[in-house]
Amino acid sequence: MSLSVALNTAQSSLFAAASKLSVSSRNIGAANDPSATRKIALTATTADGGTRVVSITRASNNALYVRMLQANSDSAASSAMNDGLAGLQTTIGDPQSQTSPAARLATLSNALTAAANTPDDPALGQAAVTAAQDLAQSLNDASAIVQKTRAEADGKIAASVTHVNDLLQQFATENDAVVNGSIRGADVTDAMDRRDAILTQISQEMGVSTVSRAGNDIVIYTDSGATLFDRSPRTVTFQASPALDAATTGKAVFVDGVAVTGADATMPIRSGAIAGLTKVRDQIAVTYQTQLDEVARGLVSAFAESDQTGGGAPDAAGLFTASRGSNAVPPVFVAGLAGTIAINAAVDPSRGGAPSRLRDGGMNGAAYIYNPTGAASYAGHLDGLTAALNATQPFAAGAALPGNASVSQFATASVSWLEQQRQSTTGNLDSQKAVLSQATGALSSATGINLDQEYANQLDLERSYQASAKLMGVVNQLYDALLAVIR
Amino acid sequence: MSLYGMLRTSVSGMNAQSNLLGTVSDNVANSGTTGYKAADAEFSSLMLDSGGTAASVGYQPGSVDTKVRYGISTQGTLNYTSSPTDLAINGNGFFLVKNTAGQTLLTRAGAFQIDATSGNLVNTAGLTLMGYPANDAAAQSTLNGTGGLVPVNIGNAKVSANASTKGTFTANLPSAATVVTGDTAGSNAADATYTAKSSLVAYDKLGAPVTLDIYMTRTAANPAAWEMAVYNRADAPATGSFPYAAGALATQTLSFNEAGALTSAGSIAIPVPNGANVTLDIAGMTQLASGYTPLAATVDGNAPASVSSVSIDQDGTLNAVDQSGQKYAMYKIPFGHVSSPNNLTPVAGNAFQVSEQSGDLQVGAPGEGGLGKLISGATEQSTVDMASELTRMIVAQRDYTANSKVFQTGTELLDVLMNLKR
Repeated sequence: MSLSVALNTAQSSLFAAASKLSVSSRNIGAANDPSATRKIALTATTADGGTRVVSITRASNNALYVRMLQANSDSAASSAMNDGLAGLQTTIGDPQSQTSPAARLATLSNALTAAANTPDDPALGQAAVTAAQDLAQSLNDASAIVQKTRAEADGKIAASVTHVNDLLQQFATENDAVVNGSIRGADVTDAMDRRDAILTQISQEMGVSTVSRAGNDIVIYTDSGATLFDRSPRTVTFQASPALDAATTGKAVFVDGVAVTGADATMPIRSGAIAGLTKVRDQIAVTYQTQLDEVARGLVSAFAESDQTGGGAPDAAGLFTASRGSNAVPPVFVAGLAGTIAINAAVDPSRGGAPSRLRDGGMNGAAYIYNPTGAASYAGHLDGLTAALNATQPFAAGAALPGNASVSQFATASVSWLEQQRQSTTGNLDSQKAVLSQATGALSSATGINLDQEYANQLDLERSYQASAKLMGVVNQLYDALLAVIR
Repeated sequence: MSLYGMLRTSVSGMNAQSNLLGTVSDNVANSGTTGYKAADAEFSSLMLDSGGTAASVGYQPGSVDTKVRYGISTQGTLNYTSSPTDLAINGNGFFLVKNTAGQTLLTRAGAFQIDATSGNLVNTAGLTLMGYPANDAAAQSTLNGTGGLVPVNIGNAKVSANASTKGTFTANLPSAATVVTGDTAGSNAADATYTAKSSLVAYDKLGAPVTLDIYMTRTAANPAAWEMAVYNRADAPATGSFPYAAGALATQTLSFNEAGALTSAGSIAIPVPNGANVTLDIAGMTQLASGYTPLAATVDGNAPASVSSVSIDQDGTLNAVDQSGQKYAMYKIPFGHVSSPNNLTPVAGNAFQVSEQSGDLQVGAPGEGGLGKLISGATEQSTVDMASELTRMIVAQRDYTANSKVFQTGTELLDVLMNLKR
C-alpha cells in the first residue's frame, strides 16, 4: 500500500495547503475591515499519516475585547455629555461676549448706576429699561436652549433605544448562526466577527457585560446586570416625551422591565451614550435650568417694590415680573421662571408704560410710589435698586451653587459652573478616547490581520504545495516504470 | 503416466495463475471503490501418492489448488469529505446494513446519502444503514442479534421540543446593597421593591419559551440574607413590575457567610408552568463587595424547530441539529463484528455475510473493545495498492507463461513418443 499511501498523503497535503491558502486569502481580503480577526486553519494528522484541515478558528483575546467594549461605552457616555454641554454652552457664547445673562446683568447694573447719577436724564432711564429687557430676553432664550437641549437628548435616547433593539435582533441572528454552526462543526468565524461588531455597536449605546456559554453562545447584560440577550433579545423600551419643559421629567429607559435610567432606577447603567444622554437630560440641564430660574427669581425679588404708605401691602413685582401681567414676587424656587420672566408693562414704552417709573416707582399703583413729588433729581430708588442687586439673598439648593449670594454673583457663578462642567467632561472625553484608541490598538495587534505574516505564510504554503506536487510526480513516474515492464 | 500428469499439472498451474490474475483484475477495477477490501489468491499444492519410495516407481506430479482470500480486516485509508453522513470506521467494526431483501449484512462502505423516497440513509450499493432509536435503551443492550434495529431515517425528522429540566445561575450579589425593609419581591405586593433582576428563558413541555424573571432582594444585613423570587414573565403587569397575576413560582432565602460564600441550599426548584421542574444550580452565588454581576446563566431544553442538519458523534450517536442550534440524539449507530472477519463471505455491493467460518455476529457500540471509532465526514478507501497489484500481475503472467512452456514441452515429448512407431 505504500505507493498509494504516498499518493494519498501528497494529495491530502495539497488539499490542506489549498485550504490554508484560501484562509490566508480571506485574511488578506478582510485586512481593511477593522472588525475582522485573523483566521487560522487548524490541521491535524490523519490515521494514515496525511494531513487535513480540521477546523478554522480565529485569533481572539477576550480580556482585550472586554476592555475595548468598556472603553467604548465610557467614551460614548462622555461624548454624549460633551455634545449636550456644547448645546448648553451656546447660552453663554464666548466668555468675552456680552450675550450671556451674567454679562447682560452687568450691563443693567451699569445702566442703573448711570441713571442714578443723572436721574433727570430720561434717556439714561430708558437705557436701563432696555438693558433690563435684554436681560429678560437672554434669560428667556437661555431657558429655551436648555429645554431644547433636553428635548434633543430625549430624542437621541429614543433613537438609541431603537438602535439597541435593532442591534439585538441582528445579534440574535448572528448568535443563532454561531451556535448552530458550532454544533455542526462548521466555520463560524465570520459570524463571530459580525457578532462582535454588533456587540461593539451595542456597547456604544449602553454599557454591557457578557457571559459565554457552551456552544459559543453569549448572554448580554447591561453593565448593571439587567438581561439584554439570553437566547432571545429582551426588549428595551423608552417613551420619548413629545415636549419637555422645566417642570417635566423625562421618562426612564427600561431593559427587560427594569428601569436602568432615571432617579429611581433599580439597576442604573453606568456607561454608554444612553447613560450620557440621560445625565444631560436629567441632571446637567436640569441643574442649569434651576440656576437660570433662580437668577430670574433673584431679579424679580431684587427689583420688587414695597408699600411706601406704611399700609403693609405685600411687595409687588417691579422692573421684572415673573411672567407677563403678573405682579407677584415668588418667595421660593419656581421651575421655568427664566422662561417667562419679562419686564413690567408699566415701564415698557412699547406696551404703553413710562420708563420714568423706574426712577419714581409706582408700577403697582399709588401706594408704591417712592418719589411722590416727582422730583427730577430723585435717585434714592435707583440707588436702592443697585444696592438690592448687590445684596445677598438665599438661593435654592438644587442649583448646586452657594446658597447665599447676590444676584450678580450667582449669575457669574452659574457661568463658571457650566464652563467647569464642560471642561471636566472634555478632559474626561479626551482621556477616554485615548484609552479607547489604545484598547482598540492592543486588540487589533492581538487579533487583527497582519499582512506581513500572511505573505510569509503564503510563501511557506507555496513551498509545501510544490513539494507535494513534486512527490505526486515522482509516484507517477514510479508507476510509469512499473507499467513499462508490462508489455 | 508422468507425461500426462505433467500436462494436467501445468494446466492446473495455468488455472491457478488465471485465478490470481482474476483477483488482480478485480482489485485493479475496484481500486477506487469505497470500502472495497483487496482479494488475494493463495495456492496450496495437491500431491498425488507416488506409490511408496521404491526407485522404480515414477514421480506422479500433483496439481495446485487456489484459495481466494480477502483482506477484510485490513484498515483502508480515510478520505475526508464534506458530507456529515459519509461515515468511516477506524477500527475493527462494520456497519450493519440491510439489503432490499431484508437481509442484514456487514459493510465498511460508508458513503451514505439520504434516499429521497424513504428518507433512509443508503450507501452507494443501495444498502440501508441500521441503528437503534436513541430512546430505546433495551434494544441497545442486545449483544448478539439484530433485534430492535431499525433503518436510520433522517428524512422525516420531526419537529420536536424538549422541556427544560436543569440549569445554572451564578451571580455576584452586591454586599453594599441596602436592606429592603418594605415589601420584598417575593410578596408580589404592588409596592414590592428588589435589589436586582435578571431573566432566563426556559421551555415548557410544548417547547414554548417561558421567560423567568428572577428577583434578588436583600432582606438582612448581618448575617447577610437575600430572597430569590422567580416569576413567570407572562403574568407580569402591563406597566410597572408588580404585582404579577400569579404568585412567585419559587421563593428561596439565600444566606451568605462572612466571606461572601453561599451557606444555604445550592439549588432551587422552579416549577415551569406547563413544564417540568427546573432545578436551577445556584451553588456558585457569592455576595462580595462588587456590583451585581451575572456570571453564568444556562437552562437546557429547546423550542420546537425543524431539523436543519444532522451530526454524528464518534460514539455513534446521530444527532439532529435544529434551526435554533439545539441538538438531540435520534439514533445510536451500532457496529457489528465477528471473530474472524477475513472469513466473511463477500457479497455484491462491498458487503459481507456472516459465514460459518467467520463466527457469529456480535453487536456493540462504537468505541467499545477495539470496534473502533465512527468518523463522520470521511469514507474508507479501497485497500488496493496499485503497485503491488501490478507486480503481482507481472509475476502471474510470467508463471502462466512458464506453465504453458511445461505444457508445450509435455506435448512435444508426447509427439516424440508418437513418432517412435510409424
